[in-house]
Amino acid sequence: MSDLAFLLLVFFVVTTTFAVEEGIPLALSGRTQATTRVDVRDVLEIRALADGSVETDGKKITVSEVRPLVEQRLANNSDLIVLLATHRNAEYGLMIDLLDEVKLANCRRISLKTVE
Amino acid sequence: MRTSRFARKHRVANTIPTVSMGDIAFLLLIFFMATTIFRLEPGLQVVLPRAETTEDPGRERIARIWIDREGRISINERFVSTSEVEGIIKSSLLEQPGTVVALNADDRAPYGVVADVIEELKDASAALLSFTSDREEPTIERRPTP
Repeated sequence: MSDLAFLLLVFFVVTTTFAVEEGIPLALSGRTQATTRVDVRDVLEIRALADGSVETDGKKITVSEVRPLVEQRLANNSDLIVLLATHRNAEYGLMIDLLDEVKLANCRRISLKTVE
Repeated sequence: MRTSRFARKHRVANTIPTVSMGDIAFLLLIFFMATTIFRLEPGLQVVLPRAETTEDPGRERIARIWIDREGRISINERFVSTSEVEGIIKSSLLEQPGTVVALNADDRAPYGVVADVIEELKDASAALLSFTSDREEPTIERRPTP
């Protein structure tokens, strides 16, 4: 009997997973902070358009191309700031995909922007 | 043969009694069954986006905001308008400073609504935001971009 009880106990202890809600963290800048001026050369603007396409420097790219691009730009310029400009009608998931790619490229300076 | 002066008079059984083991196991089982609370997620039906760089917010106190596919916003099981977000988050930040705001938005929610909510959070001086996402294994292919 105790074998059975322990078996059940061990089974439940092993199979129980705690629901942990994970997410992509982002530190928000408050309203009080003065706007900081940055060098245009440090900024890489990635635009997520309403039709689900991604654009940078005026040319269309795919989501999977974002990571190597940011990595390459980051290697040349460690002060790189990625400006993620998302259209209001674009899907939220596309923005998260891009944010994920930029974070995977180890870029820590990310700015979010909305475009009409 | 002479008996030793130190001869043992009583023999103590060298086994551990295991009769009560079952009782202990069941007691533990019943204790865990009784104390386990299933947490139901009150909120909207959302399909979370998937991301590789997710992290555990690691805070006890999390304020959750839900945004569904149609762009409706819900906090504490109540539909709210964009302008109400600031007040609600501000009061929960007053209650417990350092609260992480978790944004549980649908993968296909319009970004405009999400952007408005982020602006409201900035007004409420919320400092920590977490875009709740399901963990994605690095091998899964990305959505095709047109």
